[in-house]
Amino acid sequence: MIRAALRVEALRLRRSPAAVLAAVLLTALVPAASVGAVTLARSPHVAAPTAAKLAPYATGDLATTHLTVCAQVLGVAALIAGGFVVAAAFGRELETGTAGAFFALATPRATIALARCVVAALWLAACVVLTVLLTVALSAVATAGGGSGLWREAGRAVVCGLLGVGLSLPFAGVATLTRSRLATVGALLGVVALTQVVVLLGGGAWFPYAAPSLWAGLGGPAAAATVGAPHLLLSAAVGPAGAAAVVAGWHRLTDV
Amino acid sequence: MTALSLERVTHAFGGRTALDGFSLTVAPGQVTALVGLNGAGKTTALRALTGRLHPERGTVRVLGHDPSRLPRAVAARFGHVVGGPLVQPELTVTENLWCAALLHGLPRRRAAEAAHEAVDRLGLAPWRDARARALSAGNHQRLGIACATLHHPAAVVLDEPTSALNPQGVVLVRGLVRDLADRGAAVLVSSHHLDEVARVAAEVVVLHAGRDVGRLEPGDAGTGGCGGASIEQRFFAMVLDADTGRAA
Repeated sequence: MIRAALRVEALRLRRSPAAVLAAVLLTALVPAASVGAVTLARSPHVAAPTAAKLAPYATGDLATTHLTVCAQVLGVAALIAGGFVVAAAFGRELETGTAGAFFALATPRATIALARCVVAALWLAACVVLTVLLTVALSAVATAGGGSGLWREAGRAVVCGLLGVGLSLPFAGVATLTRSRLATVGALLGVVALTQVVVLLGGGAWFPYAAPSLWAGLGGPAAAATVGAPHLLLSAAVGPAGAAAVVAGWHRLTDV
Repeated sequence: MTALSLERVTHAFGGRTALDGFSLTVAPGQVTALVGLNGAGKTTALRALTGRLHPERGTVRVLGHDPSRLPRAVAARFGHVVGGPLVQPELTVTENLWCAALLHGLPRRRAAEAAHEAVDRLGLAPWRDARARALSAGNHQRLGIACATLHHPAAVVLDEPTSALNPQGVVLVRGLVRDLADRGAAVLVSSHHLDEVARVAAEVVVLHAGRDVGRLEPGDAGTGGCGGASIEQRFFAMVLDADTGRAA
C-alpha cells in the first residue's frame, strides 16, 4: 500500500503550486543571494551600513565564501520552503473537509500521511542538492575557480539545507492539529522569529531550529564553535519525530 | 446479511441532537434513500458510516466491520462520497481516477484500465485531460462519484449525488447506481430530490430531527400527474406528524 500512496503523492506534489514555487524560489534565489551578498561585500561602492553587515564576507577565498553564505541562507530557506509545502499538502484537505475522502480507504490514512512526508522530504532534499550545485556553478562563473574549502562548505550547505527540510516536517503536524494552512504558516514564522531571538540571546546550540544556522557561521565563528555533532544530531532527529507524530495524528484523525 | 447498518445510533453536536437512536440497514443489491430536511441528521449518519465520526452511542457496521477500523480487504470493497470527494484540483480527470483506483487497492495496470472505464461510464471523456479545478460543479460531482465507485464496491454511500447535475448527469448517475445494485452492491444515497430518489431507490427512509419517522413508497413519485407532488405531500405530512407527536 505504501507504493500506491507514494505514487499518488509523488504525482500530487509535482502538480502542487506550493511545491513548484518552493523549488523555483530555492534554486533561483539562494544561489543568486549567495553570490550577490559576497559581491556586494567586496564592492567599493557599497554603502557603509551594508558593508558593515556584510563584513564577514569581505575577505577570504571568494568561491568558498559563496558557499559559506549559501549554507547560512539555505538552512533557513529550506525550513521556510518546506514549511509552506507541508502546510499546503496537509492543511488544505483538513481545512476544507475533503480529508474525509481518505477515511475507510484500502490505503490507510496513516500510510498516505507517511508517503506525503517522504515525498515532500525527498522533493525538498533534491531541491537543496540542486541549489548547492547551482551555487557552485554560479560561483565558478564568477570566479576563476574555488579554493580548497569550496567543497567542504558545499557539503556544509547541503547538511544545513537537509536539516532545514527535516525541521519543516513538524509543521505537517501543526497543520493536522490546527486544520488550517494560515495557522501553520503563522506557527512557522513564529518559530523562525523565536530562533532569531534565541540566537541573539547567545543561546541556541541545543535549540534544534538554531543549531544548523549557528553551525554555518550565522552567529559568528565563536557561536559556530559551540555547535557539535550532538547538537546537529538532535536537530536531525526533529524530522523523523515530526513525521512520526503526523502519521500518528492522521491515524487517530476523527470528526472530519 | 446487511452490508450497511446503523443500530440505535445517537450523536449530538454540543447540545443539539443530530441522531436520536437512529437505525437503518441496507442489504446487498438494494438501493436505499435517506431523505430529510436540512439538519435532519442525514450527513451525520453518512459520516458515521464512513468512519469519520464516532457516534456517542450505537453501533455502525460496513460489511460487518466498524468503519473506523476497516480491514484493508473490506475497505477495498467500500466506496463513498460524503462532502468533498477524493479529487485533487491540480490533477486531471484521468489522473484523479488513476490515483483513486490505486488508493482503493487496485494494481497499477488495472488502475489505468479502471480510470479509462470510469471516464467513459460517467460521460467525462471530453474533459479527460482537464484539471479538476477547471471542471463545472456538475462534472466535478460526476468525477467524485466516479472516483468512489470505479473499483466496483460492494457497499456504497453517496451524499446528495445529483445535487449539482444537469438532467443528463442525473440519468448517468441513476444508471450507475442501478448498475452497482444489479451487481450486488448495497447503495445508500441521501438526497433532497424526492422524485429522483423515488426513481432509483427501493426504500426511502424519512429522517427528521435525528429520528426515523417512516418510509415513503417510491411508487408514489409518478402518481397525481404532477411528477413527485404526491411523494412530497407524504413527506411533509410525515414530518408534520413527527413534529406534532413530539410537541404532544
